Amino acid sequence: MTSSSEIQTQDALDAVASGIQAGDDFGELMGRADSPASDAGELASVIQALRGALTSVEPRPEFVESLRAELVEGRPGVVERVQQMPLRISLAAALALVAGCLLFFMRRLFDSDAPQEIQEEAVATPL
Amino acid sequence: MKNFFSRRASHEELEDRELVALAKADAEAFGELYARYVKKMYSYIYHRTGNIQDAEDLTAKVFIRAYSHIGDYVDRGVPFQAWLYRIAHNLVANWHRDQARRKIIALDDYVAHSLQSEAPERLAEDSEERDQLMQAVRRLPEERQQLLLLKFIEQMSNAQIGEIMGRTEGAIKSLYHRTLLALRDDMPRSPEADQQRLDGTEV
Repeated sequence: MTSSSEIQTQDALDAVASGIQAGDDFGELMGRADSPASDAGELASVIQALRGALTSVEPRPEFVESLRAELVEGRPGVVERVQQMPLRISLAAALALVAGCLLFFMRRLFDSDAPQEIQEEAVATPL
Repeated sequence: MKNFFSRRASHEELEDRELVALAKADAEAFGELYARYVKKMYSYIYHRTGNIQDAEDLTAKVFIRAYSHIGDYVDRGVPFQAWLYRIAHNLVANWHRDQARRKIIALDDYVAHSLQSEAPERLAEDSEERDQLMQAVRRLPEERQQLLLLKFIEQMSNAQIGEIMGRTEGAIKSLYHRTLLALRDDMPRSPEADQQRLDGTEV
């Protein structure tokens, strides 16, 4: 359950965050902030630090162009690279295939042996 | 050729909803959606992974997945970008699980190293404080990291963030408050700040 003072603090911090993001003066914002919480100042400093640290990062233009060409025009490149199976997965798939083949041939071998053995036993016990 | 350019120009004028409907049968329409959101997706994923290579691979995967599922996309009144962010969030979460399994290097060291080596790519000033803050951000649970990135990088409102994260506006506000408290407690504090806290003299 959130208390009314907590809600008031959340609203105040939200207003400070919006102001900081809009480029308003930090001191002025803090003066306007109506928060009962004693730690509002510290939290507002965290907001200010976050604003400085979390900035937008641009992708390489070649990457953007190349991926667009592949998606829209179907040219090979990044998509193929991404869709390629990692080596360990390829190895695991190859091993599973070999094991499957071995199991298949062994079962066929034993299945073809089994009726012969039964027949031989039947011949050895004439009842 | 003229037809191609006029079609591309007309796509630019369309809203996301209209483009999504067209993109089910028209690759150029998807190309326009891609142009609108590729930078946002990349920036979001870069901050979640901390290196260019994985950011590019995961960005490509987001759009491959979106393109292959655009036919199944149903407009429920949630913005198209919310759908893209959810795809990105799921892919990044899987990526973190894979990284944790491999455990080649600790994530924080890896991120710190990546951020240092890619310093020219970043717009923010390189400083010890910022690195400490970024490391503290990366120690937060995934949903809190997502909230901060959407709020500070994408500059979204609580309502928009709520649409992406599937929560109410009030829940986002509350989560934001708890996230700030967690960050404050995780960050090394100056002696002056500690004294102010003890005295209760801060604003």
